[in-house]
Amino acid sequence: MSKIIKAAQAGTVESCDVLIMIAPADPGAGIQVELISPTMQQYGTHITKLIKETILSCGVQDAVVHANEKGAMDYTIAARVKTAVDRAIG
Amino acid sequence: MPEYEEMRIYQDDTRTMRQVENLLAQEGIQKDKNLEYTMGIFIRDELIATGSFFRNTLRCLAVDGRCRGEGLLNKVVTHLMEVQYQRGNLAVFLYTKCDTAKFFKELGFYEIARVEGLVVFMENRPDGFKQYLKNLAPSRIPEGKSAAVIVNANPFTLGHQYLIEQAARDNDRVHVFVVSEDISLVPFDVRQELVRQGTAHLKNVMLHTTGSYLISSATFPSYFLQDDDTVIRAQAQLDIEVFKGHIAKTLGITRRYVGEEPTSRVTGLYNKIMQQELKKNGIECIVMPRKQVGDVTVSASLVRQYIKNGELEKAKALVPETTYEFFLSAAGKKIIQRIQESQQVVHY
Repeated sequence: MSKIIKAAQAGTVESCDVLIMIAPADPGAGIQVELISPTMQQYGTHITKLIKETILSCGVQDAVVHANEKGAMDYTIAARVKTAVDRAIG
Repeated sequence: MPEYEEMRIYQDDTRTMRQVENLLAQEGIQKDKNLEYTMGIFIRDELIATGSFFRNTLRCLAVDGRCRGEGLLNKVVTHLMEVQYQRGNLAVFLYTKCDTAKFFKELGFYEIARVEGLVVFMENRPDGFKQYLKNLAPSRIPEGKSAAVIVNANPFTLGHQYLIEQAARDNDRVHVFVVSEDISLVPFDVRQELVRQGTAHLKNVMLHTTGSYLISSATFPSYFLQDDDTVIRAQAQLDIEVFKGHIAKTLGITRRYVGEEPTSRVTGLYNKIMQQELKKNGIECIVMPRKQVGDVTVSASLVRQYIKNGELEKAKALVPETTYEFFLSAAGKKIIQRIQESQQVVHY
């Protein structure tokens, strides 16, 4: 079980990348994801789910996440999320 | 695909900095005097894109007209954001011309305020400013007259106290904003505490902080560091827009009180612009003559000058008990030392 203790970010807004900004949330608040994506309609749900699951797999239960995605592949999103969580656990 | 070279440009690399100035001038942007970090993108030694920042605000960003549509702005912003992140700044602001704001929107920036035809102020969080306003909202009174006073209070003097007392006498509620930016000789937490102590006797005064949104190094860096009149004017207009278009609206403020400004060039300019602009929004701008003690006009600059010259008694005459008591304390003595070691104590 890990806890987010400070705000952190990973990634960029370059094409095929995603900028993940993660911040602490109150215990029990769960993982709140706000996603901005050019493919919101087609993949919005999928990407949000991916971000949530990746964070949970890092052992974090509560977080506030802003994701600015520019056509990134799943493995890129997962990598950026993991790096952001790593930085936020501190 | 041409070979781009992306690198930092150092302030004392005069030859390359001149290329930066030329590119900025070409794109109609005035280079701010105070920039901490500058970078450029080059093709075979020719500068085709540049970006800089001062503290946590990105400014002076430009891409050569001949190289549009190649994702260069993205590279510039990405580079600057990476450096900002390394410096621990997660909340980043930026200034841009009105016609280029849309490009930054795509790069993850959100508009805070704009001066039509001049400049747009943006930040990298969708809810930064919204949250700031949300935190202010509960202090709004449903009826009656609300006024605002914004003070740096470096330190809090009888002048500040007099101004706030007059506002408190003539209005149902006074919102006093203490400048959060911690660049002044007296640190923020001390300034805020002295304001609190010096206004404790006024029941209708509410204290707030400006955050990054008013008189900050993000909105108005030339308040703290010398710059040209044109730069000061543009920044003042933006700062005033943030106040009148958003903060005053949120709190139902219809009056803003300021003291007459006989000496500081930057504050004088700011006040002049403020009087013009506030009128447009139906907000009264009340300029009060400065408080006199004997035949001395009270000003924080003067207090700092007295302290610097070791004339604590003269400074005592111009500040409330509470401020003087602080300067006698151990913490206060440290600040006195800081003032005495400083070159320039008078606000330009």
